[in-house]
Amino acid sequence: MTRRCALLLCGLLQMLQPVLADNAVPQRVMSLNLCADQLLLALLPPQRIASLTWLSSTEGDPQWLSVVRQLPSNHGSAEEVLAAHPDLVIAGAFTTLATQQLLRRTATPVLRLQPVQDWEGIRQVTREVAAAVGEVARGEQLLAQMDATLAQLQATRPAQPLRVIGWSGGTDVPGRDTLFDAILTAAGAVNVGAAAQGHSDFDLEQLLLLRPEVLMRGAAYASTPSVRNQVAAHRVVRQLYNGAQLTYPEAVYGCGVPRAAQLALQLRGQLLKLRAAQQPVAP
Amino acid sequence: MMQLQASGVCVTLDRRDVLKDITVSAQGGEFIAVIGPNGAGKSTLLSVLAGLRKPDRGQVLLQDKPLSAYAPRELARHRAFLPQNPRCDWPLPVERLVALGLTPTLPAFGGFSADDAARIETALTACDLLAHRQQAATTLSGGELARAMLARALVADPQVLVVDEPLAGLDPRHALDTMRRLRRLAEQDGRLVIAAVHDLTLALRHATRIWALRDGCLLADGAPAATLDGALVAALFDVAGCVSGTGDSAFVDWV
Amino acid sequence: MIRVARLGLWLGLVLALLSVLSLLVGRVWMSPGQLLGAWRLDADPLAALILIELRLPRTVLALLVGAALGLSGAVLQGLTRNPLAEPGLLGVSSGAALGAVIAIHSGLALVFPLATPLLGLAGAFVAALLTLSLGRGEGVLVLVLAGSAVSGVMLAGTALALNMAANPYAAYEISMWLMGSLADKSWDHVLLAGPFLLAGLAVLAVSGRGLDALSLGETQARSLGVDLSRLRLQVLAGTALAVGAATAVAGAVGFIGLLAPHLVRPLVGHQPRRVLWPATLAGAALLLAADLGTRLLPFTQELKLGVLTVLVGTPFFVMLVLRLRKVAP
Repeated sequence: MTRRCALLLCGLLQMLQPVLADNAVPQRVMSLNLCADQLLLALLPPQRIASLTWLSSTEGDPQWLSVVRQLPSNHGSAEEVLAAHPDLVIAGAFTTLATQQLLRRTATPVLRLQPVQDWEGIRQVTREVAAAVGEVARGEQLLAQMDATLAQLQATRPAQPLRVIGWSGGTDVPGRDTLFDAILTAAGAVNVGAAAQGHSDFDLEQLLLLRPEVLMRGAAYASTPSVRNQVAAHRVVRQLYNGAQLTYPEAVYGCGVPRAAQLALQLRGQLLKLRAAQQPVAP
Repeated sequence: MMQLQASGVCVTLDRRDVLKDITVSAQGGEFIAVIGPNGAGKSTLLSVLAGLRKPDRGQVLLQDKPLSAYAPRELARHRAFLPQNPRCDWPLPVERLVALGLTPTLPAFGGFSADDAARIETALTACDLLAHRQQAATTLSGGELARAMLARALVADPQVLVVDEPLAGLDPRHALDTMRRLRRLAEQDGRLVIAAVHDLTLALRHATRIWALRDGCLLADGAPAATLDGALVAALFDVAGCVSGTGDSAFVDWV
Repeated sequence: MIRVARLGLWLGLVLALLSVLSLLVGRVWMSPGQLLGAWRLDADPLAALILIELRLPRTVLALLVGAALGLSGAVLQGLTRNPLAEPGLLGVSSGAALGAVIAIHSGLALVFPLATPLLGLAGAFVAALLTLSLGRGEGVLVLVLAGSAVSGVMLAGTALALNMAANPYAAYEISMWLMGSLADKSWDHVLLAGPFLLAGLAVLAVSGRGLDALSLGETQARSLGVDLSRLRLQVLAGTALAVGAATAVAGAVGFIGLLAPHLVRPLVGHQPRRVLWPATLAGAALLLAADLGTRLLPFTQELKLGVLTVLVGTPFFVMLVLRLRKVAP
């Protein structure tokens, strides 16, 4: 009941907004960060996006690709920002620092996003960006969808969770306090890399010792030629994990966007399918 | 007895004629001093005679066979060559340095035979190097290094020895010593020794024959006493020369 | 001769000891008993996998790569008569790395695995040819300067190849890869690079007589019947085979080729031929020891092999330069 009221209120607010804040609501928002790209795409209509990072056209969430291709892209340089005349710039916490310093001098409003590690972080960052671009209601709507999906996942947890690791060839294995871990857990699997905090290195010996049932490989590595690709093609991996590998879009798994819940749902489905395929083998 | 014949040898370097139609012949037992001013073509002639440079025209025969027809290793067994100021880049012990002279006769793998060891011993003895055999070549004095290099050249018992300026950088005692050794190699062992020499007096006293070279042309070829006179010194070096005395007291001077 | 044989025996012992250690040490601790049991049929499958599929190929590769680097260092020093010559300093490793990077990031290596060692070999050959022809002549440091110039060009080429790579993480990944590592290598790598490494070792090993004669200078070597152009080609081809294949599997590992010959010279003398085999064994021992070091040093991320060899090698290099400055003005 209260929830419906809140939604109604939000809807009212949304209707009022253009009238209330003709100047206050930024009409052209520019993103210098891959994660900010994903949030803007979810929150704003395309015509209010001034430009996105070039990474979004290859690394971003596949569902936005057709929209991204029609929008201008940037490489995070100050020149591009000045030329685009955005009302608001959204940047990452650690990247394009020189550009951000320059923007401070030109008095362009800049919002810096903190990296996200869990669902609560997603709620915070979504509300922050939604408020900044004047789309509070849309933000709340996205979060409500996310929480509903999470609740559904929680209610249908599999009794025997699969043991999974995010392993793209050894380096940067996501451990505890990472969004990857949160998504994996929500999907109903156990992250065997979670013994370590943050991202860490796992060589093949450690991998064999932990003996995960499924390897999840970053899509960027799985699809294009790379050194890690070669490590992941190690004959031991080929022998033990033939048919027990999944690929995941790294950018979306690392970015705090409400759609992460949807990804967890998809992952649940993929894992169940793998489990079903493996079942006959195990006596 | 080794026979070496050069006929009509011409060498052009950077469009400059360094050797013009040189025809000479020599045989074992002779010690030939090649004299002439700087840039006369002495070094070029020596490298052509040693088979290290192919003449642009003409040819050189060793035992009636063109040098170009010898395989490099086979030629190396017959003649030894020492360039000007030879040196060794690694601090090898003298006996190892001398042993390098056996390179053309050694198999690709394996050590020295008893015969090889005896040859090294002979060469060390002949060049008075027994006391230095373990010393690093890079620490030898100029005279000692010259002797070590000569021993290196002699160890394989070559019939022809070609030496470019063996006296460069040697003091009078070592220069005299070197000339005596070269003469002995020719007279006693019957080898053919050809050396470029700047010291005219030493050439006059010790060589058995003189080749006088200027601007790539052979000006004189003959026994020193008969060939080397004031007129030849003047023709070679554009200085007034005078030759006095005979035999071991012969003397060349110039003003 | 006797001293060489005795040294060979000692180095062999050291190699055997290091190899055993290399099989015992890894991120996952396994007792010697568990590992010994790996050969039995009823063995612990984890121990068998780790020993046979991970540690054994890694050890074999370390030995081969180290031997290749040690021998090519000794041969290059002999050919150039320059105590500072070394595949890394002469730009050969950078050339090999460029070739390997092109193979890996163009995707060629995925369809045709031999592309990595083959392109590595080609890169090494071009780099060695460039450095040796640029740096010919007098002066020890001219060659090293030529080497750093060629190295620079090859690194620029690597950066260019990365700009064109499809993978967005290529730059980071390759900068790590260039630091060299033997972690997570398999028998596939041994099969891929092994034949080239062995061929390179064989070609280089028979250059001894020519290198000996060369210590008297080029003219005397020629007068002794040594075919210098053939010798140069032999060294170039051998170095390209050995260093090209080594770099293609292990990344750029510097200074092993410099350290190995200098370590054995005080024991066997300076004659180039007598340095070859001891330097080969010493190179293998050094690389294996360095690889063990990367596994034993307590860092959360594995220390890169190339980083360790450069850290150890640089002070030695500086010492050599200082000593050379004293000897030759």
